[in-house]
Amino acid sequence: MIEVKGLTKSLPNGRKLLDDIGFKVKKGEFVGILGPSGAGKTLTLRCLNGLLKPDSGSVIVQDEHGQKHDICKINKKELRHVRQRIGVIFQGYHLVKRLSVLENVMIGRLGQISTLRSILYGFTDKEAEEALMALEKVKIAHMAESRTGNLSGGEMQRVAIARAIFQSPTLLLADEPISNLDPSNAKIIMKLIRPLSENIPVVGVFHQPEMTAKYCTRVIAIKDGKMIYDGDPKLSNKRLEEIYGEELGQLEQYEYNAPAPLVKEEIRLL
Amino acid sequence: MNRGEFSFKRYRKYIIPLLLLAAVTEGAAIVCGATFEKLEDGLTKGIVFFRFMSPPDWPAFSEMLQPAFQSIMIAFLGTVFGTLLSIVFAMLASSNLAPGWVRNTARFLIGLERSIPEIVILLLLIAAFGLGPMPGIIALALGCIGMLGKLLADTIEELDPVMMDAMESVGANKMQIIVFGVLPQIMPNLISYSLFRLEINIRLSVILGAVGAGGIGYELDYSFNMLQYHRAFTALLVIIAMVFGTERLSYMLRKNIKMEGALK
Repeated sequence: MIEVKGLTKSLPNGRKLLDDIGFKVKKGEFVGILGPSGAGKTLTLRCLNGLLKPDSGSVIVQDEHGQKHDICKINKKELRHVRQRIGVIFQGYHLVKRLSVLENVMIGRLGQISTLRSILYGFTDKEAEEALMALEKVKIAHMAESRTGNLSGGEMQRVAIARAIFQSPTLLLADEPISNLDPSNAKIIMKLIRPLSENIPVVGVFHQPEMTAKYCTRVIAIKDGKMIYDGDPKLSNKRLEEIYGEELGQLEQYEYNAPAPLVKEEIRLL
Repeated sequence: MNRGEFSFKRYRKYIIPLLLLAAVTEGAAIVCGATFEKLEDGLTKGIVFFRFMSPPDWPAFSEMLQPAFQSIMIAFLGTVFGTLLSIVFAMLASSNLAPGWVRNTARFLIGLERSIPEIVILLLLIAAFGLGPMPGIIALALGCIGMLGKLLADTIEELDPVMMDAMESVGANKMQIIVFGVLPQIMPNLISYSLFRLEINIRLSVILGAVGAGGIGYELDYSFNMLQYHRAFTALLVIIAMVFGTERLSYMLRKNIKMEGALK
C-alpha cells in the first residue's frame, strides 16, 4: 500500500508545481496518472520514491516487513533501505548499456546486498537463477548474455521490468514506460506490467488514455499541479477534454506569457 | 557589385592584425637574439655534425635494447598508476558523483597539475628520491592526472543521468553505482585515453631519462657527453623506432576500441 498526502512543491519564484496531491493505492490496483505536459505527473512520481523532496506532504510506503515509512521524512540510509523494495521503470529504459542483460537485472538487488559482497564475489547461483526467472517472465531469457546496448527499445524496457521484478518489490512505479515505444511494443509492456499489480500496488505515469482505459484499474488526472480526477479508468470524451482539451489553446498562450512546462532535465535538478 | 572589388575588400580587415603580428615576431626575435644568419650557420654545422655522427655504432645497438625496454617500462608503470590516480581524481571532479565543493577543488587540482610540466615534477622528485627510474615513474604518474583526470571527469559528467537515478532507485549506494554503472560505461574511453597517454609517456620517459630517470634517454645524453657520437646516433635511431612503433601499436588498438565502443 502507498498513501500520498498533501504533496506540495513550488519553485523559488513561487510557481506551484504540485498543489495538495493526495491518493491511496492498495495492492491489486494499477493506477495510471494522466495529464497534459508539465502538469506535474513525473514530479509526483519522483516524490513517491524519494528522488525528489516535496516542500510539504507525506508519502507512506510499507517495506517488506509491513512496516510503514514516510519517504519524505526518513534519512538517506533508511531511504536506501525502503528503495530496495520499490521497483521503478523509467521512460527510455536507462540500463547500463555495456553490461549484459542478466547483469542489468541483477542491479535490481544491489541495494539488498552489502557493497563488499557485490564487488568481491557478486551474486549467488540462486540469485542468478531468480534473475533468469525474472527474464523468463518478460520472455527474453534467451538474451540473458547479450550486451544490453544491442537490444531494441521494447526489449530494453522488458529488461527494466525484469530488473524491477527481481527486486521482489512491494511497490512498482513506472514513469512513462511506453512513451518511446511503438504501439505493439507498448501493448506488450502494458500486458507485462498489469499482472504485477495483483500482488503489489502499481503506479504509472502515462500519455495514452486509451492504454490506461484498457489496462489500468483506476486513473488519476493531474493538471497544473492539482488533482482533477480520481476514478474509473474509462474516461468520457468530456472528461478527456477537461484534462487535455485546452492544450491547443495553451500552446498559443506559451508564446506570450504562460510559463513553459519543466522539461525532464529541469525536473531532475529540483 | 563588382566581384573583384568585393574579394579585395574582404581582406582589408586582416591588414592591421598581420602588421601587429609581424611587429611582435620581430620584437621577440630581437629579445632572443635569433637571426637568419645564425639559423643558416647552425644548419651548416648541423649537417657537418650529422656526417660526423654517421654511420651509427651498430655493435652498440644490443646495449641499447635494455635501456629502451627500461624506458618503455617506466612509461608503462607511470601510465598504470597514473590512470588509477586519474580515475579517483575524475570521480571527485564529477558533478554527478561528488558534492560541488569537492568537484571544484578536484577540478582546480587537476588544472594545477596540468600547468606543471613533468620535467619540473621530476626535478623536484629527484631531490627526494635521488636519480633513477623511481622518480621518473612517479613524475609520469602524476603527469597523467592533468589530462586523464579532466577527460575522464568530462566523460563521467556526460553519462546518462537517469541511468544513475535508476540505480539509486533500487537502493544502490555510491560505491555500487560507480562499480556497476560508471566504470563499465566509461571503460572504452578509459582504455582509449590511457593508451593515448602511454604514447605521450613513452616520449616523455625519453626526455625524463636524459634528465636523470635512466633508460634510453640517459644513454643518449651519456653518449653525447662522452663524445661518442656514433653511439648517440644509434640511441637516436632506437628512440625513433621505439616511439614510432608504440605509437602505431597504440593507434591500432585505440582504433579498434573506438569501433567497438558504444558510449553514446
